[in-house]
Amino acid sequence: MTHKKAAPAAHLQTLAYIILLALPLLLMLVALTLGRYPISLSDVVRIFLSLVDRSFAVGISDTAYNLVVRVRLPRILVALLIGASLGITGAGFQGIFKNPLVDSNILGVTSGAGFGAALALLLSAEPWQVQISAFVFGLIAVALAFVGSRLYRTAPMIVLTLMGILIGSFFMSLTSLMKTIADPLDTLPAITFWLLGGLTGITWRDVPWLAVITLAGSFYLLLTRWRFNILSLGDEEATALGVNPNRLKIAMVVFSTLMTAAAVAAGGVIGWVGLVIPHAGRILVGPDHKRLLPASLSLGASFLLVIDNISRIALPGEVPLGVLTGLIGVPLLIILLFRNRTGWQ
Amino acid sequence: MNLEANGLCFAYHTGKPVLKDISLAVQPDQILYVLGPNGCGKSTLLSCLSGIRKPDQGSILLDGIDLFSIAPEDRARKIGLIPQTHVPAFAYTVRDMVLMGRAPHLGLFDSPRRADYEIADQSLESVQLSHLRDRPYTELSGGERQLVMIARGLAQQCPIMLMDEPDAHLDPQNQHRVLELVAQLSGQGVSFVIASHSPNNALFYADRVLLMKDGASLAYGKVSDILTEPLLSTAYELDMAVIGDVDEGIPVPRAIVPRRPTYSRMEPDDIERLETNLAKVFADGQESPQLIIVTGQSGSGKSTWCKELSLRAKGIGLSIGGILSPAVFENGEKTGIDLINLADGSHRRLAGQRQGTSSGVTTPRWQFDEATLDWGNIILGNLPPTDLVIIDELGPLEFRRGMGLQNGLRVIDERAHPVMCVVVRPSLLSDARKRWPHGLVMDVSGKPGDGRK
Repeated sequence: MTHKKAAPAAHLQTLAYIILLALPLLLMLVALTLGRYPISLSDVVRIFLSLVDRSFAVGISDTAYNLVVRVRLPRILVALLIGASLGITGAGFQGIFKNPLVDSNILGVTSGAGFGAALALLLSAEPWQVQISAFVFGLIAVALAFVGSRLYRTAPMIVLTLMGILIGSFFMSLTSLMKTIADPLDTLPAITFWLLGGLTGITWRDVPWLAVITLAGSFYLLLTRWRFNILSLGDEEATALGVNPNRLKIAMVVFSTLMTAAAVAAGGVIGWVGLVIPHAGRILVGPDHKRLLPASLSLGASFLLVIDNISRIALPGEVPLGVLTGLIGVPLLIILLFRNRTGWQ
Repeated sequence: MNLEANGLCFAYHTGKPVLKDISLAVQPDQILYVLGPNGCGKSTLLSCLSGIRKPDQGSILLDGIDLFSIAPEDRARKIGLIPQTHVPAFAYTVRDMVLMGRAPHLGLFDSPRRADYEIADQSLESVQLSHLRDRPYTELSGGERQLVMIARGLAQQCPIMLMDEPDAHLDPQNQHRVLELVAQLSGQGVSFVIASHSPNNALFYADRVLLMKDGASLAYGKVSDILTEPLLSTAYELDMAVIGDVDEGIPVPRAIVPRRPTYSRMEPDDIERLETNLAKVFADGQESPQLIIVTGQSGSGKSTWCKELSLRAKGIGLSIGGILSPAVFENGEKTGIDLINLADGSHRRLAGQRQGTSSGVTTPRWQFDEATLDWGNIILGNLPPTDLVIIDELGPLEFRRGMGLQNGLRVIDERAHPVMCVVVRPSLLSDARKRWPHGLVMDVSGKPGDGRK
């Protein structure tokens, strides 16, 4: 048999991989300079250094310092964390479900979280209460799907997928119900905007718990990342290779669900990242999960940061993040699907 | 390393056993072929042996230790499964695929290291596919994929490899490539259990054969004991021939092929030729029974043909048994059917036209005489050993409704007589051929219908 096309050169992929991993940090520095009040890159670097040594802050205005440290930095960090979370869990879910068209919402976590937030907003809760409600209901949705799937003993994975879709639809209906009974002048717009996603009100208070969950979950997924290759072969082959597929999948689902719920609680419903990013990752570094997971993490963080910057700076008024990821992500996915089909069959 | 299975039973659903009391043993450097028709349980057997499924009963021992008491990763270092070629969801490179064989050697949090990559590359070199290392596995041909899967088994470094239909969907060259590699590895001490649909490959490569049917072990043992015409014919429900040479007086089987039923049209001098052939068959003392299925339209002379055959067979000194059922004519009208015992020429009325047939309907309706049918069954149930048995005829009553001359069906099923001749109408020919695929079909319709001669 002849092969028409040579495989992408391995060293090119290695180069792309290294650049990818460094990308979020570079973009973060650039993003800190952007905004209605321009701050130069050197000032941004000096502000960072001044956190270590006060003398670097000489000549930098308080406004600039406050903008970078108190306003821009938390929002940028949250954008990076959410993007990283959605990217790596999307790649993970695609691997264990052997399906390149799923993302972390496959088990209903986003829909559950959306309902939790809508419910809290309807009850005029504080922002932190909204976040906790979203987080908890996200976990409840997945737990329900999981318990439901255990009712069948055979084909647990396909039943789990089905239950996830069903539970997700159920919570979406509940959310719609919340919207119909919400006050159209006050609560309804709040629910609508929350469901479309956005990082407008982010402060330092949102960062720690999101960071802890995202970093811990990513750490586990990255440690076990090579095993996703094995899992993607199917349960029987994985078992024959000495891997216990169920134990690994449950751990993976638990971590991914926590990460996604935390991301949605912080930033609202931000679609498409978890679906588009792993495809882009496969094109850049290949389908091997050993590289794909770090690449998706990095790429997801970079993508969401860029999108949030566009929303924050380039457009008049703030276009909701969930809208922008769709408007940019969908055409991007279409282009990727047509241009390169080697990442999956 | 020895793999041994004793009395394995397995069912996916209770009451529907897929494996029934299967036992086998594989020693180092042996190749065991598992043969049997589709759905006989070969793949399930492999998944039990690989530890994917636990049998409901029976034991699987690896060097005397219960397979299911061994930790999964330890087990996977001993037994490798090479599945049927499939396309994974993602286009991993060939090297990545082979590398996955390292899974049982790596901890949960480990990724492959340099040493693992080296082992993967060596494995690829062993199957001579180094040049495809960075190619997407999904773009390979079926044969190359099978070789990559073998390389994965090599990277897994297990002394026992289970292969599920390695010869499926492969052209002869690729089958040769894959199986020669298997033979070569077997020479280096790896043992193989191969599920296959190719008895010929078993003939070439196997040390032992397990022949399965309906989940049970039909036969198990040395190649020469198992790959025989009766066993293969039973397993596949197909008339199988083992063709071979004779080397210094010892028969050497070379190929296993199904026998095609021959279908010929009756020509005027065919009876002559058949008689010559019959004489030749008997003269050669050929052991395997011959079956002639005589067919033809109503009135084409099937009974006449059989009668003629019986007369000429008698003429060359052959002993004959069985029955004839010629039509009885009155004033040029077919009014009944007789049943004649060929052994002594005695006859009774088998059927008459049913009384009160409505006028204008020309199709004759026959009323069978139960007593004569019983008589016919007694004749057919007590046939003495003869050179030729003729059964004229078996109809829908026997084939479709389980009534009538059931002993006639049994006589032919048992293949107890050297040459048998059975008459069926064309509408039942397919039933007859399905039941007796080894039969030679004779269509006598070519002759003018002179049944009343």
